[in-house]
Amino acid sequence: MNAQEIYDPFNYATHENPYPYYRKLRDEHPVYHNRKNDFWALSRYQDVVFAARNFKLFSSAKGTSLEYVGELAPILIDSDPVMHTRLRHLISGEFTPAHVARLEARVRTYAQRLLAPLRERGEFDVIADFSAKLPMAIICGLLGFPEQDEDMLRGWTDDCVHRDEGVFEMPEQGRIATMNMYGYFEEQMQARRRSRKEDIVQKFVDAEDAGQLSHEESLGYLYILSIAGNETTTKLIGNMAWQLDAHPDELKRLAANPALIAQAVEETMRIDGPTHMMARTTTADIPLHDKVIPAGAKVALLFMSANRDERKYPKADEFVLDRNPKDHLGFGGGIHACMGAALARLEARVAWEEIFKIAEHFEVQKDRTQRMHSPQVRGFTHLPIRFTPRASAQAN
Amino acid sequence: MIRVTYRAKTGEEYVAEAMPGMTVMEAALSAGVPEILGLCGGICSCATCHVHVAPEWMAKLNPADDEEGAMLEAIDNRAPTSRLGCQVKLDDSLDGLVVNVFEVS
Repeated sequence: MNAQEIYDPFNYATHENPYPYYRKLRDEHPVYHNRKNDFWALSRYQDVVFAARNFKLFSSAKGTSLEYVGELAPILIDSDPVMHTRLRHLISGEFTPAHVARLEARVRTYAQRLLAPLRERGEFDVIADFSAKLPMAIICGLLGFPEQDEDMLRGWTDDCVHRDEGVFEMPEQGRIATMNMYGYFEEQMQARRRSRKEDIVQKFVDAEDAGQLSHEESLGYLYILSIAGNETTTKLIGNMAWQLDAHPDELKRLAANPALIAQAVEETMRIDGPTHMMARTTTADIPLHDKVIPAGAKVALLFMSANRDERKYPKADEFVLDRNPKDHLGFGGGIHACMGAALARLEARVAWEEIFKIAEHFEVQKDRTQRMHSPQVRGFTHLPIRFTPRASAQAN
Repeated sequence: MIRVTYRAKTGEEYVAEAMPGMTVMEAALSAGVPEILGLCGGICSCATCHVHVAPEWMAKLNPADDEEGAMLEAIDNRAPTSRLGCQVKLDDSLDGLVVNVFEVS
């Protein structure tokens, strides 16, 4: 087998189960070069942390995808300081745990609303019926987009992250969706200029007027918040169903003791977090493990491989509910670490608290699951479960 | 440029040259201070950017809010001068700031 075939994130088979490939990289090719698409990959925990923290050597300014995704708009995720500093601190204060805690009631009410009609059915699609809708509703509420636009926006963000098999660029559909989203954000900003609202769109309009943000930066910010606020948490909630189905004893413990849900979310983020990889571009030659990554090279930081590195976590391939890891890279690390991590944790926890209120046990219908296809985000688009309704829930 | 000095237990000193608006955590990463991990990216969630501010600088900083205070309370080697680097935003008045940093356990 060619070395170049060990890790190919544009191969759909990799999306099915990337973990054997990651192990091979960690054990045999810790500094791996994919010759087919000319990029490098780091897979061990220590190396990924090193790269994630060292934003000067590992720049984000040339994009955080390996492939070409069209002309880059000025976007937080694709920036280095000082632009990153200015953009991030504009709203990062809104996403601390204490700030997002205020959203808990809203998340819960919405989760209950989605689950109520499913209660009597004994089965539902965790993604399509529930987790695709919950984070989108919350982020739309924060940004200030009307509820009736949620489905349309979700369709667009799905298109933005999808990649066709073996194709090293964003497909036409994704570029059209990107244009549509920019057009939509433009309208939303104009609407705020006509009549004020208290939301993030308004914040950006005000920041533009104050000279803190260019118009393109506003649009780019709304773009990344819409995608990041939606795709990943949706997949996290689904991946947790998958993990619990595979670990029925842990499922039982959670169903009996909802106080454990937060740490189950954390362990899911470690072992099966949705964001597998982010790319950087080197700004100098980087000698590492007897190799030299040349300056100007694209480097994939494999967060989900790092999280399964036995050099870091004992029995790293096992889902251990009591592990409750605090230093996993499920949300990345360093200055680009997920700004919405606290919100994602809150949404996933509340989502599962509410699922366990209607279900005391469930099984994934494995013959009917479907995966999304992205080199960076891994999870399901359909994940049907059959569940045993809780007696108390039915009595309500 | 705002200069921030990070003093490690080992006796090593790192000097960051930061832009206004950066935090003590971000400046530490730019200077390669090994003791500052900054894992959560600055949303006050991981406490891996804990510093002890040199006493003479304490009065110049905006005090920690409740959320940061709660995080600090959970730290073993906290001191009255403890701060989370990610919650200390730099401006020109903090040029010359000195903080002590610790091996991450």
